[in-house]
Amino acid sequence: MLTLDLLINGLIIGVFYALMAIGLSLIFGILKIVNFAHGEFYMVGAYAYTLAALSLGISPWLGIPLALVIGLLLGLVVERLLMRPLYSGYTSWGVMRDEYAVIVTFALSIFLINIVDKVVGPFAYKGPPLVNISRVTVGPLAMSGHRLVAALIAIAVIVTVALIIRYSFWGRQIQAVSQNRLGASLAGIDTAKASAIVFALAGGLAAVSGALLANIFNPTPDVGVFPAIKSYTIVVLGGMGSVPGSIVASLVLGVLESFGGVYISYQYRDTFGLFILILFLLFRPQGLFGERAREV
Amino acid sequence: MAYLVVDRVSKSFGGLKALDEASFSLEAGELVGLIGPNGSGKTTLINILSGHLSCDSGKVELNGETITGLRPEVLARRGVLRMFQLTRSFPRMSAFDNLLVTGCALGLSQEAAEARALSLLQDLSLTRIMDLDAGQLSGGQMKLLEFGSCFMVPPRIALLDEPFAAVHPTLKEIMSDFIRRRHAEGQTFILVSHDMPVIVELCPRTVCMNAGRVIADEATRAVLTDKVVIEAYLGEAAA
Amino acid sequence: MSTGGHPTNRRLRIEFIVSLAILLVVAGLPAIVTNAYWQGVIVVSMYFAMLSIAWNILAGYAGQFSLAPAAFGMIGAYATGLLAYYYHTGYAIGIPAAIVVSGLIGLVLGRIVLRLRGPYLALTTLSFAEIMRLVISNSIEITRGDLGLNVPGIFQERLPYYYLMIGVLLIIQVGLFYLLRSRAGLYLRAIRDDEIAAASRGVRIVYWKTFAFTLSAAICGLGGALYGHFAHFVSPELGLLQQTGVVISMVVIGGLGTMVGPLIGALLVYVTSEFLRDVGNYQLVVFAFLVIIFARFFRAGLWGLVLLLLGVRAPRPLAAAPATE
Repeated sequence: MLTLDLLINGLIIGVFYALMAIGLSLIFGILKIVNFAHGEFYMVGAYAYTLAALSLGISPWLGIPLALVIGLLLGLVVERLLMRPLYSGYTSWGVMRDEYAVIVTFALSIFLINIVDKVVGPFAYKGPPLVNISRVTVGPLAMSGHRLVAALIAIAVIVTVALIIRYSFWGRQIQAVSQNRLGASLAGIDTAKASAIVFALAGGLAAVSGALLANIFNPTPDVGVFPAIKSYTIVVLGGMGSVPGSIVASLVLGVLESFGGVYISYQYRDTFGLFILILFLLFRPQGLFGERAREV
Repeated sequence: MAYLVVDRVSKSFGGLKALDEASFSLEAGELVGLIGPNGSGKTTLINILSGHLSCDSGKVELNGETITGLRPEVLARRGVLRMFQLTRSFPRMSAFDNLLVTGCALGLSQEAAEARALSLLQDLSLTRIMDLDAGQLSGGQMKLLEFGSCFMVPPRIALLDEPFAAVHPTLKEIMSDFIRRRHAEGQTFILVSHDMPVIVELCPRTVCMNAGRVIADEATRAVLTDKVVIEAYLGEAAA
Repeated sequence: MSTGGHPTNRRLRIEFIVSLAILLVVAGLPAIVTNAYWQGVIVVSMYFAMLSIAWNILAGYAGQFSLAPAAFGMIGAYATGLLAYYYHTGYAIGIPAAIVVSGLIGLVLGRIVLRLRGPYLALTTLSFAEIMRLVISNSIEITRGDLGLNVPGIFQERLPYYYLMIGVLLIIQVGLFYLLRSRAGLYLRAIRDDEIAAASRGVRIVYWKTFAFTLSAAICGLGGALYGHFAHFVSPELGLLQQTGVVISMVVIGGLGTMVGPLIGALLVYVTSEFLRDVGNYQLVVFAFLVIIFARFFRAGLWGLVLLLLGVRAPRPLAAAPATE
């Protein structure tokens, strides 16, 4: 049945979107910035997974944790080197921290895209599948084996992360810092460390997303640009800083795009998310689940 | 009819009722103190008067015109000027330019604005630092600068929200003298402050708020000995 | 008669004169740079200079960090391109049309994003830019999509384009100088520094923000149209987010919020990138890296560096914590 097919397809895409969106949302929650280089964490993960398998002969199943680790490290390094000025008081940007964040992450994005372009080359690789079954039938649906396995892995990762954020020690520290940085630091929480953990985690998640999708979207230096734009829509939709919000919004967007691509317009399906983004930014910036910030 | 009329203004934030049918009025030329414990709604009221917040119900009238719901820049041009509790300035513009902005925005010509700015800087003993960026000034100087901005064009009413908080006594002197002089010339003020000595010194009349309502509105000395006021600040036992 | 205290005026005048001097030098370059290819490179760098100046007005002076400058360049280019394609008009109609169309769309965008700040503003303008690009590149029946459009030229030779661009840049800089010296300059900078304070002092936020967006978009559109007529070709690639990244890099490297920064940023970055292209195509890596370094450690950019080296008063830091009395 077409509708069910579209629905499941949409949900699966949504699950992959969620991996990226959660990290982005966490970053916004804790640092109050949008990370414009998020797509490049995805890209790095995709390349790590692909090149490990193709050049080093490593099994794709090891490629996933490898991508995770590389993503974690990259996120950590970026946070330590570049994000300090956002919270450590005096910098040459002073009151213009938002602008600093936009410029630095945007530049970082261009830097990463182009350095990969130079070092690895602009040609697309084909990410190896996790399982070599090209067609799996689950009930009325048919999809590639890799897609099914990847989706299951993604779901597992998402659930794990959500639980960690909700219940673990550091998860709760992160929640505290996101809600009130000053208060959290007064309560003795190491806010710098929390920021570092969040950035690393976000990098890792995006990298895993890139790795899982490498078989479907061949890694090129700018492969992360599209997913990143989708994530922006999602985090605004779900409420910046809200992990459950991002998950729900990801699924919603995935389904919307799936149906919209068939029933409204295939040609312009990429613009739906953007229109939704603008509408929400204008009329409901706190998204579906976020908190409204007070002014003055 | 009174110059400023605050008529049963209410404002809630989520479940918190910050203003609960607060009402009072002022005549032109009055210098009224506004006191009350923390959280009593003083700043919320100022924000509503200056247009930075909209009220849920109630009405504010200035000189017969309803001004409820107008935007801050519109109100500024109608003569409602204010200071912020946490000093606001234009950090990357010079002190001189900080004053010029207000002057030009409120309709002065280039020359008039420059002349006005220079004389204000002199009145406030800030001429020395006039070419420094506002962001490079000390906290007290920034506050004095913000204070001065309210008077580039004589306002219909000046809303001073805790102008003396954390300010050096010398600068406090400068501000009080200025207020006293302008008041003598007929300037209308609402002065929010926790500094009781200054309130007593400057304000013939004081309004006290608590939990979003006006609980006392009379001559300053009477307000300070009012049982209701003491109770609001110190609790029932002390009253 | 101008507004603004003495140091403000003096600084602005110096920046203005230096930028005029730079344009003068560029005007004299063809005597040394006789290679037509390199003259063309400088022409393109002047297209980027226009986008950079425009973005600097919006972001550096009015504080609105939009991610749409390249999109407006593309809109201007397509305004003239589509008119030429369907109605066989030339630059005489195309260029004014580009200015008007871009300006109007910029006005609309400005009204849309009025209440947005920081990341929300960036995201909205980004979405807008991407939507514009996707619409143009996907409407194949109307715009020929990625195939692009052929655009008639203005002159037969390369050199006249060169001087046309210099002339336009000159006019823009002069206009900008008078704008910044006027009340408008005060209002824009006030909005940038503290919008809430500006409103409470009577500055008409809605009007001036919209003004900044409109002006910036119009200049971008003008640049785009001029580029189109020079290159005889327009494509949706003009509006890629990466192009906006290049513009932002140029302004940040040159010096955000100054009259000289965008000019030297654009000229130096683009010309140097062409040099580096010969060496091995590392230009974007290098410039992105430079942007990060400048943003992280030296916000005043190259122009600030020049001032520092010349012993002029050190770039004024933005105090996060004011000095104690």
